[in-house]
Amino acid sequence: MNLIKPFSTLALAALLAACNQTSSTNSETTAIEGKKLTVGATMLAMEHEFVVNVHDEMVKQAEKDGIELLTVDAERSALKQVEQVESFIGQNVDAIILNPAEVEACSPAVSKALAAGIPIINVNSETSAKPTAFVGSDDVEAGRIAMQHIADKLGGKGNVLMMEGYMGQAGQIKRAQGAQEVLKKYPGLKLMAQQTAGWDRAKAMELMENWIQSYGNQINAVFAHNDEMALGAVKALTDAGLKDKIMVVGIDAIADALQSMKKGTLDATVFQNAQQQGAQAVATAIKAAKKQPFEKEVLIPFELVTKENLNKYLK
Amino acid sequence: MQWPSEMNTTKTLISSKISGQLGQYGLLVAFLLICVALAIISPKFLTVQNGLIIVTQVSINALLAFGVTFVIITGGIDLSIGSIVAVAGVVSASFAHPDSYPVIVPMLMGLLVGVAFGALNGWVITRSNVPPFIVTLGTMTIGRGLALILSKGRPVSNLSDEFNFLGGGKILGIPTLIIILLVAFAVCSVVLRKTVLGRYMYAVGGNEPASRASGINVSRVKMKVYVLAGGLAALAGILLTSRISTGQPNAGEGFELDAIAATIIGGTSTTGGTGTMTGTLIGALLIGVISNGLDLLNVSSYYQQVVMGVIIVGAVVLDSLKK
Repeated sequence: MNLIKPFSTLALAALLAACNQTSSTNSETTAIEGKKLTVGATMLAMEHEFVVNVHDEMVKQAEKDGIELLTVDAERSALKQVEQVESFIGQNVDAIILNPAEVEACSPAVSKALAAGIPIINVNSETSAKPTAFVGSDDVEAGRIAMQHIADKLGGKGNVLMMEGYMGQAGQIKRAQGAQEVLKKYPGLKLMAQQTAGWDRAKAMELMENWIQSYGNQINAVFAHNDEMALGAVKALTDAGLKDKIMVVGIDAIADALQSMKKGTLDATVFQNAQQQGAQAVATAIKAAKKQPFEKEVLIPFELVTKENLNKYLK
Repeated sequence: MQWPSEMNTTKTLISSKISGQLGQYGLLVAFLLICVALAIISPKFLTVQNGLIIVTQVSINALLAFGVTFVIITGGIDLSIGSIVAVAGVVSASFAHPDSYPVIVPMLMGLLVGVAFGALNGWVITRSNVPPFIVTLGTMTIGRGLALILSKGRPVSNLSDEFNFLGGGKILGIPTLIIILLVAFAVCSVVLRKTVLGRYMYAVGGNEPASRASGINVSRVKMKVYVLAGGLAALAGILLTSRISTGQPNAGEGFELDAIAATIIGGTSTTGGTGTMTGTLIGALLIGVISNGLDLLNVSSYYQQVVMGVIIVGAVVLDSLKK
């Protein structure tokens, strides 16, 4: 292979960087010394439905408040996210919204923004460095609600499998923690295996197929850290003719999951309010930028979705 | 060495066939050893049911790896196949809603996307001096972006039963994916071993200037190779979409690396000129067996990655010792 020419690499990098940045503007202008507020947002991954939902609401809120929202996609890379925050600092934005890719690795982004005197709001997921404000939900609670529902339905006895998110992300760590808390209360509930399927439906389907081989009829319930994986598990169980015997619970209440519940395949999910998170993140960012009083921690509660209250969430 | 061009091509051809054969035995031994070890440790491993599951799970990666094998034999590389999986999947899903189009339409639309991407790769690579690594890195990003644009970042679901049958159904108890895998394997093997195009692929990868001097239209061979890889990636994307009955814009991420791994483990030389489809198939099976076995043994997710890496390197080392 030829050596890569520095010029073409540069050109490619520039091209990619240009494609990476989308901006949504609004004709209305916010009155802060006549200048329109600019908020930079770096999102974990714009290919996850949940993240897209949060972002859609951020855009709506930004339009409503007449601010400029610059969005970049971190494509799940913490390193990229730190660089994106650095460039927001360079652009001298009024506030930054960070939807962190990782707990530790994204912390430098938070410290750098604070050092530059720019308010930074973490949305949905945490970093170990403390930001100006946090808007999101407590993932421990989601894990607790999901596993508690399984415990209730199984009468505190049975064999459970746990499909984990991308290892090391706050969502995975905390949802697992919440589930473990409930498991400790019920000695009759046995966690047979826990394994990651990286938030991904196809990977979850493979993992479930392999689990069916190992545990088959012993399985009573599957708890997946998100709906995508839960739907992969549902598909594998349905194909194996076991879905009627095994309950599956996910988290996030994405549209596909609600449809699956309507059909009676997925048993339950936990609603995480993406709209509220997106709207509150932008609202908090504006308040912080204008140096108005704001809440340091905006916690939006999770809600259990079952057959009984499904209609409330179906759009 | 300065051989007359024709002799050189023939010589490369013969030596490539011989080393390919030897390589396969080393790989086969490694594969069988791992299977025996897993069968001893886990009683669940050696069952017909589990065998079917492994081959089903392997089939997507194998289809991609067949395409990559063509490309790497000519001395190229294709990093865009994982993204093609996503675009083809999203496009086919968009045409596969119940009561919309007959099932042939989503299939053809998906394949068309893959062929178009392959043709774009081939066109840029043959018309410019930019290395395939860079060109396909670019199309990889373009493809991922297109998948996200077309799907608006959300899974495309609610697909017809006919479409879901393609990659999720069974014929006489055998998963359709396995049948398609076997047919694709047979076709790709024949193309590589029995056709003029196949012989040209080895020649181009073995010695490009010599092939050109001996009258082979190198650009046309390369073009066809990337179109084949794109088409196979699209097929994999359609089947994956059908299997999970949803078109995911983030599908196929990192698939290119798994496919390249399967190809290299299978004995195809990274510098081109040698390689076989049988080797690639065994390479893909090896990766699948390890992944399945580690799940059955409930090895922690952290350790799985380490074990997988060690076994892959081990297999390649064993293979090279055999040579």
